[in-house]
Amino acid sequence: MDDYKFLFKVVLVGNAGVGKTCLVRRFTQGLFPPGQGATIGVDFMIKTVEVGNDKVKLQIWDTAGQERFRSITQSYYRSAHALILVYDISCQPTFDCLPDWLREIEEYASSKVLRILVGNKIDREDREIPAHVGEEFAKRHNMYYLETSAKESDNVERLFMQIAEDLMKQARNRDLPRYDSNTQSINGRTSTISDSNCCSKLQ
Amino acid sequence: MSRGLRQLGRLRAACSLGTRPSSFGLSQSRGLTGALPELTKDRYPHVKRGDYATLDENHLRFFTELLGTNRIVTDPSQCEGYNVDWIKNVRGYSQCVLRPKTTEEVSRILAFCNEHRIAVCPQGGNTGLVGGSVPVFDEVVLSTSLMNEIISTDDTSGVLVCQAGCILESLDTHLADHGLMMPLDLGAKGSCQIGGQCGTVLGLEAVKANGEILDCLSTLKKDNTGYHLKHLFIGSEGTLGIVTKVAIHCPPKPKAMNLAFLGLDSFESVLKTLKKAKHELGEILSSCEFIDERSLDLVTSRLKLKSPLAVHPFYMLIETHGSNNDHDEEKLNTFLENVMAEGLVLDGTATNEVSKMKNIWELRERITEGLPLEGYVFKYDISLPIESFYSLVPAMKERLGESAVRICGYGHLGDGNLHLNICVKEFTQDVLKRIEPFVYEFTSKLKGSISAEHGIGFRKPKYIHYSKSHTSIELMKQLKTMMDPNGILNPYKVLPS
Repeated sequence: MDDYKFLFKVVLVGNAGVGKTCLVRRFTQGLFPPGQGATIGVDFMIKTVEVGNDKVKLQIWDTAGQERFRSITQSYYRSAHALILVYDISCQPTFDCLPDWLREIEEYASSKVLRILVGNKIDREDREIPAHVGEEFAKRHNMYYLETSAKESDNVERLFMQIAEDLMKQARNRDLPRYDSNTQSINGRTSTISDSNCCSKLQ
Repeated sequence: MSRGLRQLGRLRAACSLGTRPSSFGLSQSRGLTGALPELTKDRYPHVKRGDYATLDENHLRFFTELLGTNRIVTDPSQCEGYNVDWIKNVRGYSQCVLRPKTTEEVSRILAFCNEHRIAVCPQGGNTGLVGGSVPVFDEVVLSTSLMNEIISTDDTSGVLVCQAGCILESLDTHLADHGLMMPLDLGAKGSCQIGGQCGTVLGLEAVKANGEILDCLSTLKKDNTGYHLKHLFIGSEGTLGIVTKVAIHCPPKPKAMNLAFLGLDSFESVLKTLKKAKHELGEILSSCEFIDERSLDLVTSRLKLKSPLAVHPFYMLIETHGSNNDHDEEKLNTFLENVMAEGLVLDGTATNEVSKMKNIWELRERITEGLPLEGYVFKYDISLPIESFYSLVPAMKERLGESAVRICGYGHLGDGNLHLNICVKEFTQDVLKRIEPFVYEFTSKLKGSISAEHGIGFRKPKYIHYSKSHTSIELMKQLKTMMDPNGILNPYKVLPS
């Protein structure tokens, strides 16, 4: 069928209104949709990128931030290769919720999943969370850190391209998160993989 | 849950159970807006009025004495809504509409009409798409819209008995209180829950042309004693009798519902995705619908609905019904990952949030409503073997070229049922000749059916032979002669003259 070498699943999570959908739209369609409504359930799309000479497919899952629209999202963590946790640098509460999101990630995702913390909306002038605070938080939780602006297209391409590159490296080293291939089990959250080896640095 | 409209749409077409979709723009008072279509007698001059009585004072007196002045409509402007079908394809000129409430009233009306050779056109919600539910000439309209009583609901057996004029939405609302829903298998739903299909209409009561009341209203699931007479009325479109009551087998309302809307780049991918859905979603797959790019474009441009996806040549709507949401999400999730990994699906959204599911369903359900906004619509409701399901659409595009404003296809993929729609600025005999009989010959060659669920009505009797053998048609004619010797019931419809 398609001549791609790798397929990775990337899931975006974070509070409502931090700009998850805008980051995805910017990356997949080159658009910044103003007045974007709240995501309900989950949206998913495919974007093929080239890393070196290899084609890599990113399967991007854009989840709902609002609690009441989130019932379906938890099962989507399970087979993720990378998780992008997004907050809004001009909105303290979205930063304060990060520990809650991390708890959810710990519970549902593989321990080997690549985790990236993204402070979005750096185009805004009313910043509430200084860059170093975000960075320290990321370091403390073994996450890669990046600040972006979906509106100005700052660092968006870089965010996804680095994820693709890093996951490719992991794949070549056979160090990707592993998931039980038989996912038919009815009550099964996939048990997390035992080793605690952390792959938190993007090179 | 308005998609039930399609479900009952079939039931109605099949046995004249009256329903009127609320979103279809025909107002409750049956007032009409916009230009009226040409009278059917002028557009189809070869159809000659049968040898029926012309309504006189004595007839009207009888009807008025029976129904009172409130349930007989003779004012020409009020009759108009009953004379025109809602897609404005055909128009009769009946001057009398009767609105009985009971089986006994229907019986007395028919006995009288039979005796005086008055032609009768039974009408339910008047949502038919083949001109079957409006008069061709001046037939008396017998409307079942006041026959809307729910007679009984059995929570344990799931059997609902109601009068024929009940509107689906109200039935569904009523059933929800009992933890039940209208059956899924009628027309609309994907192929997967085949079990109950022939069992869904358990029984019915009908009035024969001579006024005799035929009670086949069995509520038993199994009853194999003698000929299954109820089936005679399914597909008869009011030509053999008027259905007055039905017993329907209703499944429990699902505890969990999920809906995915997918964008795909080829019909081949659509077929592969359908196959995977059947295998991976199995028993919870309740619906698998298909929309092409031109159909979606119609609702986004004409009705201003918003599509959550980017533009793709094809779209699919996949719904699951189950009893355990964790289980269903798990399955749907795995399925979605797999179809994306295989490159079949490029883009999509999934939800179990009621308002979003409703918005997505509207993209599919309101296509029919958008079509007349383009001008005149030639509608074809066709069953095709699944592998050649879509082939008719490009074939028609090639044949008609610029003369059509829009040619689009959508439908119940699981059932192999394609709705082909050809919009033209205005009706001309020339375009009609280029479409028919080609469209039927094409379907027949592929061993499809020329009417999957809309029925035959007024517009398609001469094409019935493309789907039914000579012997079958002859037997139908014999049945008609036996059950309605004076031919008063819905004349000029279903059977070729």
